Amino acid sequence: MLTKKLPPLQSFLVQVSRRASHVARQQYDVIVVGGGHAGTEAAAAAARVGAQTLLVSQKIHTIGALSCNPSLGGVGKGQLVKEIDALDGVCGRAGDWAGIHFSILNRSKGPAVWGPRAQLDRQRYREFIQSELLSTPRLTVLEGSVEELLVTEPNPEEPGQHRVTGIRLANESHPISASSVILTTGTFLSGSLFMGQTTSPGGRIGDAPSSAGLSHTLRERLGLRTGRLRTGTPPRIVKDSVDLSLAQLHPPDSHSTPFSFLNTHTRCKPEEQLPCYLTYTTPGVERVVKESLHLNCHIQQDTKGPRYCPSIESRVLRFPGRSHRVWLEPEGMTSDLLYPQGLSMTMPPDVQLRLIREIPAMHRAEIHTPGYGVQYDFVCPTQLSPALQVKSTQGLFLAGQINGTTGYEEAAAQGLWAGVNAARWALSMPAVALSRTESYIGVLIDDLVSRGVTEPYRMFTSRAEFRTTLRPDNADLRLTLKGFEEVGCVSSFRYQKAVRVRDSLQDALAALQSLALSPSIWRKKMPDIPMSETKNNVPTGMDILQYNDVSFETMASAFPECLSPYMEFSQRLKIEAVYRPHSEQQRKEIERIQREENMSLPQDIDYLSLPVSLSQEVREILDRVRPSTLGAATRLQGITPAAVVHLLNYVRHTGQKERRPHRYRTDQREDEEPRARNTSLPR
Amino acid sequence: MQPSVYHGVWRAAVHTLRTRGTPPCRLLSTAPLADAETIFALSSGHGRCGVAVVRTSGPASATALKHMAGLTRNLPPPRTALLRSITHPQSKEVLDRGLVLWFPAPHSFTGEDCVEFHIHGGPAVITAVLQALGSVAGMRPADAGEFTRRAFQAGKLGLTEVEGLGDLIHAETEAQRRQALRQMSGELGRLYQDWSHRLKRCLAHVEAFIDFSEDELIEDGVLNQVDSSVCDLQAEMERHLKDERRGERLRSGVQVVIAGATNAGKSSLLNTLCQRPAAIVSPIAGTTRDVVETALDIGGFPILLSDTAGLRDSPDLVEREGVRRARERVEQADLTLVVVDCAQLSSAAQQAAAFIRGHLTSVLPTQEQPETVFPTDRFLLVLNKSDLLPEEQKQKLDRELRCVSGLPPVCLISCHTNEGLQDFLTVLHSSVKTLCGDPLSGAPTLTQARHRAHLQQCFAALAQYQRYRDMDMALAAEGVRLALTSLGRITGRVGAEEILDIIFKDFCIGK
Repeated sequence: MLTKKLPPLQSFLVQVSRRASHVARQQYDVIVVGGGHAGTEAAAAAARVGAQTLLVSQKIHTIGALSCNPSLGGVGKGQLVKEIDALDGVCGRAGDWAGIHFSILNRSKGPAVWGPRAQLDRQRYREFIQSELLSTPRLTVLEGSVEELLVTEPNPEEPGQHRVTGIRLANESHPISASSVILTTGTFLSGSLFMGQTTSPGGRIGDAPSSAGLSHTLRERLGLRTGRLRTGTPPRIVKDSVDLSLAQLHPPDSHSTPFSFLNTHTRCKPEEQLPCYLTYTTPGVERVVKESLHLNCHIQQDTKGPRYCPSIESRVLRFPGRSHRVWLEPEGMTSDLLYPQGLSMTMPPDVQLRLIREIPAMHRAEIHTPGYGVQYDFVCPTQLSPALQVKSTQGLFLAGQINGTTGYEEAAAQGLWAGVNAARWALSMPAVALSRTESYIGVLIDDLVSRGVTEPYRMFTSRAEFRTTLRPDNADLRLTLKGFEEVGCVSSFRYQKAVRVRDSLQDALAALQSLALSPSIWRKKMPDIPMSETKNNVPTGMDILQYNDVSFETMASAFPECLSPYMEFSQRLKIEAVYRPHSEQQRKEIERIQREENMSLPQDIDYLSLPVSLSQEVREILDRVRPSTLGAATRLQGITPAAVVHLLNYVRHTGQKERRPHRYRTDQREDEEPRARNTSLPR
Repeated sequence: MQPSVYHGVWRAAVHTLRTRGTPPCRLLSTAPLADAETIFALSSGHGRCGVAVVRTSGPASATALKHMAGLTRNLPPPRTALLRSITHPQSKEVLDRGLVLWFPAPHSFTGEDCVEFHIHGGPAVITAVLQALGSVAGMRPADAGEFTRRAFQAGKLGLTEVEGLGDLIHAETEAQRRQALRQMSGELGRLYQDWSHRLKRCLAHVEAFIDFSEDELIEDGVLNQVDSSVCDLQAEMERHLKDERRGERLRSGVQVVIAGATNAGKSSLLNTLCQRPAAIVSPIAGTTRDVVETALDIGGFPILLSDTAGLRDSPDLVEREGVRRARERVEQADLTLVVVDCAQLSSAAQQAAAFIRGHLTSVLPTQEQPETVFPTDRFLLVLNKSDLLPEEQKQKLDRELRCVSGLPPVCLISCHTNEGLQDFLTVLHSSVKTLCGDPLSGAPTLTQARHRAHLQQCFAALAQYQRYRDMDMALAAEGVRLALTSLGRITGRVGAEEILDIIFKDFCIGK
């Protein structure tokens, strides 16, 4: 994948604009609004599933732009990137192409929590994403500003239920119709920018604010509850003006590990990669923040901020008298800027300069672009189904920051899943869900739709109950096979590769299991292993491989005849051996949750008047959240075991009654064959 | 959604859900439920009984039967009673002599391998057998309603039985909640809460170390603190588990509390019931200030009767404390006798009912808002001093109050003349009998066995932290997570958000 040549950007633009002139009156299966991380993954995924897809973005050349930090992955986030890649998403391969500093975080803490991470070259990343979208069949890109979301009047048979019909662009009289629309508007929904005491409308500096029409439709016509969140970005520093000798050098890993399961190496070789630098804040930084508070609108309004510390202001105010880490990260191979991770700030530009100069390495630093804050609307995600579809509006999907999350990886993960389901909706295929027992993406979506957010939601490994099972190394086994066989978003090329990996790993594990020898023979074959004398059982290769100091390589050299065919999987086998006993323990809990998740609760239940014995409190919780499955209901705060059983009973008894199969569309496209691969139609 | 794979019962349930037309009378399962854990519980009610039945369900049932009934070679023929000595699987100490029955899957109540031990009904024997079962590998005390739930999942319950399942689980969880409250308010409760608090902090710090130490400044000493905390906790738990003294003597029996306004005659009722002047009675309001307890036997069922201070706002510090204790007792009670001076009631039934409702509201634990229906099974209304009413008003009141819906059972009595006492005892007896039919209410031995099992799991999980501390933090953290989950079964579940709260409070975590 890395060997392909990117088409020149110029030709991309030409082709896109040429298409633009043709598209205005066409009909699409799926329209994606927004070209950030959520939008690009959504568009690519919808097209992969088989939908004719249109991506609309304000500016073509900012598609795939990294608006904030120039990096991808990390602890928890790296797991998401691996999973997106396993489902044939774009960002993992883009990271391998654009990365200029690769490292695996948490290397000493166990493979389940390794955090693959890369610093990115902004331009290369954008180029890769744009070129990828261009070469994706069934995908059209259009520059334009969405003026209006088109929805039907509520269906009289199902009060409050709308259906999406398309969009209308600014300066265009003709609507573009579609069965599904995915909104990935990021911070642009009623966004305002803050710097010092000035505020201006917008979602990102340098871009026009998005139209008020979209916001209006969501809130007034569709009646969606929204909330307001804030975020911010640090100033960009001129690299030459920083005295890097006063900062700690952090080189990349000596061996780069790619994000993508398709890649064996990264484009940028370790010796060509750039370092990061670590510095610390000083008491002077704290002083500047405190002295300039009266000039800082964003922070003054920060009455009910998140629990974590999104800005340098919140850091020194909440944890005074400490020094805080500031990472100086490269912005690109040829960029002359540095990104000061940890210095997000919203004070006036002259104060920003004073502040950064309190840090020794930056005592003469110059600011290229000042930092600023953004406040924006998000749609309370409990109004979404696990397919990320708005429950009250058929065909409308939301992904990314609009759902209250923060971070590229979180956005991309939602984008991919919304893209998959929007396409399946448009092609009259049933929705698919990812369980929190099988993926971080499932954890993310389940947390969002069943608990909602009160602060920007970011992925941590501590959110995953089954962390030792949901590892970065096995994301392909967890998701690629399902992605091809059940979801339809994975190419057969990737699928074949994953099948080969699965089969080889199974063979290798069987070989290890069949190596059952007495301790004395083990000691003879592998003199270095610390085996206790007294054990009279017969340990297998799997047992021995669990030992701390035993690697698959050493074992394979002792038993070359049966193990050497599997050398390419040595690391994965070692990890598997260490975690397998724990995975076995977790399996029954996982199965219990999966059983409950397979019990879906109809979305049209009137919980407030349900003729079963539920307390008013429980009714209100259920009515507010409207969980999609019994499993989701069980996890809600305030739901008692008794309530769950009553629900189960009710659903079981009323299940036989006539209910409209609202998940499937039957009104359109009866003449057309669905274009999905690898999936069968319901019924 | 039409997922291609369903498992076990849910498959059956979902199938039923989607099948129109004739609803099947029984849920049929295509595969037995793969629940590896084996559960056990006392399934007969407590109270004075000759025989108690302890039941197990799950794959380890056969092992338990072999080890505890001395059946080393063969299992007994299915569904046949066998008289055996029942021994502790490790110490081989003989615990009792009783009947054992073997129900191999799938022909059992839950569809899994089941064993029944019919043993003598004394609390010592029951406790010993339950603890012995807890020491068998793979066995743990059953959760509320778990036997029934498993039976349901295996498709062993008919429709009418399923109907009752929700109520059953509700009753069990309620009884457990009250039982837990009683235990939690004491010394033991404080100890467990303290452990839980420290474990949460340990977990938060381990999680912070995993999720944030690469980007943020997490002090180097964080893990060392966790190490020593885990060590301390292990030592304390080990001591606690080995301690044969049981601390405060656990009160056994159904907890019945007398509550009401001052001078309604609560202490007189206590004295009448226990047929001796256990509590001081005087015409002065506020005579009873502390809780007076008496153990009684009502129709063969053990009850613990508590007289409490009259509920009123008082400037007197001692009396205020008495009122606080009284409210606490009501909250923990299985059954509350609300005593009302009937001379205060208006002769019009509607007004009387409104007065009583208001009175009940003031007695109810604050968390139970009366806007929902009164938990009538947990309250008895005692209208005292009936001797002060003229006969015709008495009858009218009695007749009319019975017609008012939403009130608990009403008894009109006089502690002075013992009028109506016999009827009251009949009502009380039937309430207590209902409560005793629930094997969980007021059975401290069972709670104790359950706590012990969870503490042992917690203790074992902490060892996993130490085993993996220097090898794999993810697996070490798993140990702390498991420990907290096990302890959480006693002190309440701890969610991921609670851990994040501690992390964000203790560490400066950026965007």
